[in-house]
Amino acid sequence: MSSADTPSIVRMSGVWASYKKKTTTLQNIDMEIKVGDSHAIVGPSGAGKSTLLKLINGTMMPSRGTILVDNHRPDQRDSVFRSKMARIGYIPQSLGLVRNSTVLDNVMMGALSRLGGLQSLLKRYPDSEVDAGHKVLEQVGLSDKVDRNVYTLSGGERRRVAIARAFMQRPKILLADEMISELDTTTSRIMMNMVRDEQKRTELTVIMIHHDIELATEFANTISLIKGGQKVLELGNSKNTITNFSIGESVQSGNA
Amino acid sequence: MTPKNNIVIGIVGALIVVASWNVGADPAEFVDGIPNLGIVMEEVVEEISDVDERMIDRALWSMLETIQMAFVGTFVGYALAFPMSLLASRNLASKWVYVPIRIVLAGIRTFPSILWAILFVIMVGPGPFAGILAITMYTLGFVAKLQYESMETVDADPMDAASAIGMSKLQLIRHVVMPESASHLFSHLLYMFDYNVRQTSILGLVGAGGIGFYIITHIKFFQYGKAAFFMLVVLLTVLAVDLISVKLRDRYVVKSQRGVVDAAH
Repeated sequence: MSSADTPSIVRMSGVWASYKKKTTTLQNIDMEIKVGDSHAIVGPSGAGKSTLLKLINGTMMPSRGTILVDNHRPDQRDSVFRSKMARIGYIPQSLGLVRNSTVLDNVMMGALSRLGGLQSLLKRYPDSEVDAGHKVLEQVGLSDKVDRNVYTLSGGERRRVAIARAFMQRPKILLADEMISELDTTTSRIMMNMVRDEQKRTELTVIMIHHDIELATEFANTISLIKGGQKVLELGNSKNTITNFSIGESVQSGNA
Repeated sequence: MTPKNNIVIGIVGALIVVASWNVGADPAEFVDGIPNLGIVMEEVVEEISDVDERMIDRALWSMLETIQMAFVGTFVGYALAFPMSLLASRNLASKWVYVPIRIVLAGIRTFPSILWAILFVIMVGPGPFAGILAITMYTLGFVAKLQYESMETVDADPMDAASAIGMSKLQLIRHVVMPESASHLFSHLLYMFDYNVRQTSILGLVGAGGIGFYIITHIKFFQYGKAAFFMLVVLLTVLAVDLISVKLRDRYVVKSQRGVVDAAH
């Protein structure tokens, strides 16, 4: 948990974003997330939650406002920021897995930035990295499916491959878009505890989009509610407030 | 059938008649020519029965030469096409790169292989090497187009995810584009080899090596039976190549494509 003097790792001020010129996806967002925070983003579908993650990892540029991630303006075309992207674990909603590659090959993609250019192109992974890949797959419960092609896996298993790939990045920040949807309750908890353990061990900052407000309140120390492209509420560090909010402000109602 | 369809059929029919008239295509001439075919066939049957060992030997060796030419030309052309196709893919290269590359590739495709063969016979002299060069060029132009079209169909999600975790363009090609389009790329290779064996069989007509040289020589000397024997060897080889390629396709391509379909559901 962060304190007042913990440095911030993500800072947004007056951020606007849009996909097409006419429609605005996000409006005037201010946000500060501190190192080691666990921040949940909740809100109805189409509110602009995923866009927020894309702005943080530099795959999308804001139309207005400033963003600083790890003291740098996020932009995937910028070589300095690209090196930081390797340590921003990303689990998109679509997962972005390579279906015709094996589970292990997908997970090893998270380690590519640590390897030499030729090494990564020839898939000559050092033993230490392969061991790390096996270890993370064991953590997500897929050690028996290491050599299976991704297209043969179930939806939940695929999700766990994407989680393993993000962990393989040894992330400083973890951006997860509905990381635990399609997973049963037990597996969801195992995955969330895995994230929590990693946070205890390292200074990992987690920014996670949640659909399940209960899990959000259980695992996050700060929460932003996004609705219609605007941040309508931010709550933090007090479970009481969060619980009260979940009763008063029904997130699900916006999903209709 | 709607009136609109009838109009379209009427227009197409009229165009066929006009175009045939213009180029002097007369069905009556075709009918008149049928007895000529009979004469040739008689000769073929007569001569093919006394094919000697020397001729069988010559046909098999020249067929082997043809297959080797097609093999080298297909693989070299395919290897050259791969980097070109990466540069011609809209999802991998910028407009300033893919537009000129596509123009170059379209230019290469303008020439059929027989014209490339004439060009290379002039450049390097007659023989199989000119044929290999011709097949290489033809394969390059054709396969690069098939390849970049396949690469453009690679799902954007894994590409976006790969670039979001800081992977370089080359890593993205190696770890996302290649595995996701592998079955198509392999299928193109088989298709092209299959096609090139047929094409290489006629390059000898312009002196670019292979079995075509014997076919055209025997035709020139009115030895239709001998020419037919060489053609029969080509036919049997093409059938064999076709059979092998179907087996390989079933084994490696269909299976992995089924995987993609499974994943989509």
